[in-house]
Amino acid sequence: MISAEIISAWFVVLLTLSIFSFLYKDNPFYKAAEHLYVGVSAGYVAVISFWQQVQPNLFGRLWPSRAAVDDGSVFQSFWYAIYEFFNLISTGFGVLDRSIFPKGGIIGFGEIRMIYLIPFILGIFMLLRLVPKLGWLARWAIAYIVGMAAGLRFYGFLNSNVLNQIKASAINFTSDWGTIINSLIIFIGTLSGLIYFFYSTEHKGVVGRLSRIGIYFLMIKFGASFGFAVMGRISLLIGRINDLKDYSSSEYHYATPVILIFIIICLAIWSFIGEKDRNESIA
Amino acid sequence: MDTIKRVFISLGSLDRRIIFLIVGLSVLIPLLKPEWVSLPIRPRPESQIVFNEINKLNEGDKVLLSFEYGPSTKPEIHPMAIAILKHLYAKNIQVYGFALWPDGNFMSTEAFSEVSHQYEKEYGIDYVNLGYKPGAEAVVKGIAADIRALYTVDLKGTPIEDIPMMKDVINVNSFDFVFSLSAGFPGSTEWVQYACDPKNIPLSTGVTSIMVTDILPYVENGQILGLLAGMPGAAEYESLVEAELKRMDITGIPGKASGMMAAQSIAHVVIVLFIIFGNITYYIIRNKNGKDKI
Amino acid sequence: MLLKRHIPLIIVIGVGLLTLFGHFINNDSIQAFVDKDALQWFDIIASFAVFLGALNMLKLQIIKIIKKQKNWQYSILAVIGFVFAIFAGFFYRGANFITLSDVKDAHLAVVSEIVSKELKEPNPYAIQTKIAATKTDFEIDKIYITSESANVVIEKLKPYVGTIELRSKPWGTHVQTKGSLFYWMFINIITPLGATMFALLAFFVASASYRAFRIRNFEATLLLVAGIILMLGRVPIGGLIPWWTVSIMIIFGIGAVAAPFIKKRSLLLGLMGGGSFIIFVFGAYMGWNQNPPKLLSIPYIQDWIFAYPTMAGSRALMIGIALGIVATSFRIIIGLDKSFLGDK
Repeated sequence: MISAEIISAWFVVLLTLSIFSFLYKDNPFYKAAEHLYVGVSAGYVAVISFWQQVQPNLFGRLWPSRAAVDDGSVFQSFWYAIYEFFNLISTGFGVLDRSIFPKGGIIGFGEIRMIYLIPFILGIFMLLRLVPKLGWLARWAIAYIVGMAAGLRFYGFLNSNVLNQIKASAINFTSDWGTIINSLIIFIGTLSGLIYFFYSTEHKGVVGRLSRIGIYFLMIKFGASFGFAVMGRISLLIGRINDLKDYSSSEYHYATPVILIFIIICLAIWSFIGEKDRNESIA
Repeated sequence: MDTIKRVFISLGSLDRRIIFLIVGLSVLIPLLKPEWVSLPIRPRPESQIVFNEINKLNEGDKVLLSFEYGPSTKPEIHPMAIAILKHLYAKNIQVYGFALWPDGNFMSTEAFSEVSHQYEKEYGIDYVNLGYKPGAEAVVKGIAADIRALYTVDLKGTPIEDIPMMKDVINVNSFDFVFSLSAGFPGSTEWVQYACDPKNIPLSTGVTSIMVTDILPYVENGQILGLLAGMPGAAEYESLVEAELKRMDITGIPGKASGMMAAQSIAHVVIVLFIIFGNITYYIIRNKNGKDKI
Repeated sequence: MLLKRHIPLIIVIGVGLLTLFGHFINNDSIQAFVDKDALQWFDIIASFAVFLGALNMLKLQIIKIIKKQKNWQYSILAVIGFVFAIFAGFFYRGANFITLSDVKDAHLAVVSEIVSKELKEPNPYAIQTKIAATKTDFEIDKIYITSESANVVIEKLKPYVGTIELRSKPWGTHVQTKGSLFYWMFINIITPLGATMFALLAFFVASASYRAFRIRNFEATLLLVAGIILMLGRVPIGGLIPWWTVSIMIIFGIGAVAAPFIKKRSLLLGLMGGGSFIIFVFGAYMGWNQNPPKLLSIPYIQDWIFAYPTMAGSRALMIGIALGIVATSFRIIIGLDKSFLGDK
């Protein structure tokens, strides 16, 4: 009896080797796996964003658990009637189980925050981008995001990436010679690197020489980045091959070698047929 | 000499699939036969600093552990997460899991379930997983200001108020240390800029190799205390933690990163040789073309 | 014009200024709004942006299928994948679990045997202790995607347990629960595909290193040398490279730098060969075979390059990029930059 775990393992190996088949050339296995990934990833991120943010933090603030907020007012009864209406739509008019809008409100917050209608409306505007005539409404939502991001980054980058970094470039001349020389190297490297990026003046004379030194420091940095990039990619490859190695054991019914041979045979046939079609079209 | 030159010239037009095969074998063979290559792991200064900082923490301290990586970078960062958890659990430090990436939820679930059982740690008492919220830097800023504005329930759906270890936790100031397991944006940089720098909370990080040079200025400056750089960093930290656990008479399962260092080393040597051969071929062909022109 | 241009600009300027000055204004209600509500709104609207991206992807793939554009057959797979993710997220929980209560002492051993087999736990006694200690419902720590698979276990336990229930994790937590259908999708579809996509790059990096990485000038040499030293120094094998190999590399490096100035090839080669010979003799005399100096150790050289020149270059880039971001953010906040409106 082949368990669900074995079938899952074979599926994983098939997907992995389909992606690796791109190393031979672009082929149907790779294209199929790539498109599957695109579709599943899009759905995955949407589901997670909904259940982690929109449902608890937006709907949870607009319709918190009624037991926590009930004041018996007419407005509240009307407001929760809207909640039940949304529930009716989300359950296909009662066909499906209650999911997004649980009975009695969403447990979490202790008060109704009507002000959260603003992000709700802006969120709907964002989705209206898909409707050509109403797409301009998305600009309002995007404006909020852009404005807030600009405000956050202005302070964050100025404080941590500029002021603190300049502070750190200072040299402590009371320490030992080795530390002073190393600190000087950092100071000169930082300053000359920044001068290289300063385009308001021509890179001639002293500025030219300093910017030349700056390039050298930047090249060392890029070389180090290259080395680390290679290191990172190799690490990821090792991880993948390690998993394939685990799946080639008898416990998983030799999934890796079997599927590898299957893909090689299929690609050989596909290449042969492709070559034949090309020769015929030339003829 | 001419024969050697001809060999290099023919190697210059090598089909790239042969190069792929050589790289694949350079990784596969050390994994299949680890006993053929045995290399000592020497911790780098940055990894030692991370270890020392966590070792300084006391029993009952609170650590915020943030998961900002996914399956694509799991081989580099997940071993760090496991080693960090082992270290924190061995010292009976309370661990609070957060995530700035959606994938971080699954990575954190996997990491906690892999280690917590081994150390007999109880959910809600010794560790809690609050999970992911979308919003990048806004989430970090929210955690810095008021956690309860962002999180009402944990990953299991339990209200925060019902979790014993969340009682005194208001915002990032309630933590004694923050550790970010970061593979990109949002990640360690956001923790520095929006939480740990403004609020002066000690922060350390483990990052993918590609991010290392970008994070370096924060490390040199002390804004980030130490750095675990990619899989080698994970292997170094594993070796430090294993030595410490041995000293504490705690037995455990060895980490995975250390076992992959042989493959990493051989692959690096192969790529360096490719670069050297490629350049020798380039110079031979350039000189030959120069002579032909004359 | 007012609705499509001016109102978004007002929003950008207002929100930008509020967020920025929120750091400096000492007013409780403004700070509370900026630190809590404003950020929450950002997170919520960002989530809707995610939905927009997903729906846009779906729209493009469906158009491709309808119009039968090139490779439209693969787009069917993309749509199927998307529908599957939505199904697992919103329509099928697949996060069933079993709870037990009223387990009599006489049956504890049998029940814990069955449960430990189910959990692949080697020690049934540990389970037995947990069941005995649990006053109310004992939850079997395993999630079943289908109720049928859970019922198989329930049938085994029914004769020995007073009350046995099949429950489901609440909606929302089911997407995080280990063992649910959504989790299965993440582990068996997203993880292998995502991880392998990135792992592919290792091959292309190697191919590029061989075919494209050329020492054409001094800057490229610096880049290459830094890269090689880092690649070798960061891994354990770097520590095994002997001091004399490092010496030869340094001498050849000096030779490469001096080459433009020494025209006579034989003189250059002679100087490099002579230098290498002197180093070997000196090293042997100083006992470097047993105790090599740090300066001729790749890991030590790598550490220094990493900590100082690389750091300097990284800092310069960081400050430069940060100044650019601060300038752009300022332009956005004061309404000068209107690129987000689609203006050129």
